[in-house]
Amino acid sequence: MNTDIAIKVTNLTKQYSLGKKKEESLRSSLTSIFQSKKKMSDVFLAINNISLEIKKGDIVGVIGKNGAGKSTLLKILSQITKPTKGKIEINGRISSLLEVGTGFHPELTGRENIYLNGTILGMTRKEVKDKFDEIVEFSGVEKFIDTAVKHYSSGMYVRLAFAVAAHLEPEILIIDEVLAVGDAEFQKKCLGKMQDVAQQGRTVIFVSHNMPSVKALCNKGIVMKNGELVYNGEIQEAIDLYQIKNIKTKSNQFKKSTDSPKTNEPVELLDFEVVPRNGNLLTMFSGIDFVLKFNSHVENKTIDLTFEVVSQDDVIVFHNGATVTPENNSEIGEYLVTCSLPEQLLNAGIYSVNLIFGENQRFLLKQYEDIISFEVLQEIAGSNSSKLPGIVFPKLEVLSEKTSA
Amino acid sequence: MEKNHKIIDANHSHIIPDFKELYRYKDLFVTLTWRDFKVRYAQTTIGLLWALIQPVVTLLILSLVFGKFVGVKTDIPYLLFAMTGMTIWTYFSYVMTNAGSSIIASQGMVKKIYFPRLIIPLSKAAVGLIDLAISLVIMVILMIYYGIAPSSNAWLAPLFILMGMIAALAVGIWLSALTVRFRDFQHIVPFMVQIGLYVTPIAYPADFAMKQLPSWAATIYYLNPMAGVIQGFRWSVFGGEAPGNMMYVSFAMILFIFITGLLYFRKVEDEMADYV
Repeated sequence: MNTDIAIKVTNLTKQYSLGKKKEESLRSSLTSIFQSKKKMSDVFLAINNISLEIKKGDIVGVIGKNGAGKSTLLKILSQITKPTKGKIEINGRISSLLEVGTGFHPELTGRENIYLNGTILGMTRKEVKDKFDEIVEFSGVEKFIDTAVKHYSSGMYVRLAFAVAAHLEPEILIIDEVLAVGDAEFQKKCLGKMQDVAQQGRTVIFVSHNMPSVKALCNKGIVMKNGELVYNGEIQEAIDLYQIKNIKTKSNQFKKSTDSPKTNEPVELLDFEVVPRNGNLLTMFSGIDFVLKFNSHVENKTIDLTFEVVSQDDVIVFHNGATVTPENNSEIGEYLVTCSLPEQLLNAGIYSVNLIFGENQRFLLKQYEDIISFEVLQEIAGSNSSKLPGIVFPKLEVLSEKTSA
Repeated sequence: MEKNHKIIDANHSHIIPDFKELYRYKDLFVTLTWRDFKVRYAQTTIGLLWALIQPVVTLLILSLVFGKFVGVKTDIPYLLFAMTGMTIWTYFSYVMTNAGSSIIASQGMVKKIYFPRLIIPLSKAAVGLIDLAISLVIMVILMIYYGIAPSSNAWLAPLFILMGMIAALAVGIWLSALTVRFRDFQHIVPFMVQIGLYVTPIAYPADFAMKQLPSWAATIYYLNPMAGVIQGFRWSVFGGEAPGNMMYVSFAMILFIFITGLLYFRKVEDEMADYV
């Protein structure tokens, strides 16, 4: 293996058995001895055949949506869990930081926890001792160092935990979202510390959803989607790719391209558009219409249509729909569907839509993921008030009366 | 090739535990042992006294039931007789109970960081040594009280204590690995401890049981690793009739459980994080 490569991953796959994972019991094991045929269980590929190389000194940001396989990749690289297939070669002392404060015990004092956490992270007691003063100073909890950490505020706890982690000196460092802790000032301090680490020529692998910090820290980027490697290269391109793919596009229109070949799909979406019901801007108060056209190639079926609206942080706002041809009366030809959302349902924000065509509300006919996205504006044009938190913004009916003097 | 070159290969796994790596993590072992010890008595008012009270209470109950009610005849005062049995047994049952559930109890760590998982049950076995030391002290105090001198075989006593420690660790390793896969063992272990107290010659001499059992059952009796250890320990301290060949059945059993335990633990170690 080339000496300037820190990590080389070849055909890595990690497979989980769904459902079985947690429920394996003595009984099922005993009964499986007597069953010649093993029941096929659903499998889920958290990592699907990934190969990549990471050079020494690279600061690599791993980005992707929740469930893309980022954390699983880190767990395998950190040797916490074993891959199902594939091979990994690692050149250098490796430390992983998937959580701050692993092994912290509430009954023990700050001092004791520094030793405990330090040795858990792979330092020797001597190394911890040598860095002890630095760690305490970095954490800023000198006064409480001999107090049990159960009496710490959550901020102090996290600061102490990060301080220990920040003083690790591995050649390869794996970090998962640990910057999402503490107040803004402390986060800045952490970023600074990580930049120091980066400048010392170490290799860092960093998972985060926070694009500004990924951009500030990393020079290389890896984009993952559904367990697969989508991109491995320069950080800016990785971020662009991720944002175009995942942070929803501005397009609130879908039009089937005219030159696409004729398909054998039972249904085929032609047009899909999100429009305001009142006025010409999509706002919290405008009311929202989903207008779509599709071609049906099936006869005498009950076609139903489900809209799944997903917020920018991947929360499903709703998953709901209706039958288009309620009584087994679908015909071949074009249908126009308008679905109206009431005013004051969605809060301001960017949403994306998954569209699912089904038959009898049981069988899947065709599914369109992330087909369009749309932005609901705060209020009317020109308003500069900031967005309120929350996904929904329901109309509240308030009754109040005076009940006593 | 650099010294920190490591290869993780899905198609190739080690059957034998990596003892070199285990040694590299010795500081973690020390810290975890010390943490458990500290936490165990941290919030109690009488602290270490609990480690004294538990065996003493069991001892008193055993002498009441077996010494007084049943009237078991022993060469030495019954209290002392039962105490010698209790020493190693207390340690054994402590390790069995605590090592057994240890990996589940440390799941927060297991899921978030790599280290040889064997460190966890090992540290539990080390914490239990405190209890062992305390019960040995009680035993010596009783010997002084009754004015009984140790026999000429006493130099063998450490060997039996060592065998007891290996047995405890062996069972602890097995149970810790099994409990991760099959939570049922959390319920089975308390039974094992309870039954073990009676099928081990703690409160009665082994002959007492042998007289009632056909010879084939005697072999089964000694498959209990603790049977040979406790009988041997008592012989080394007080003399009397030397334990027979049956003791080797227990010893063979201990080695068997220990080696298979290490192998089984190694086999499931890589996947523990997925199961806890």
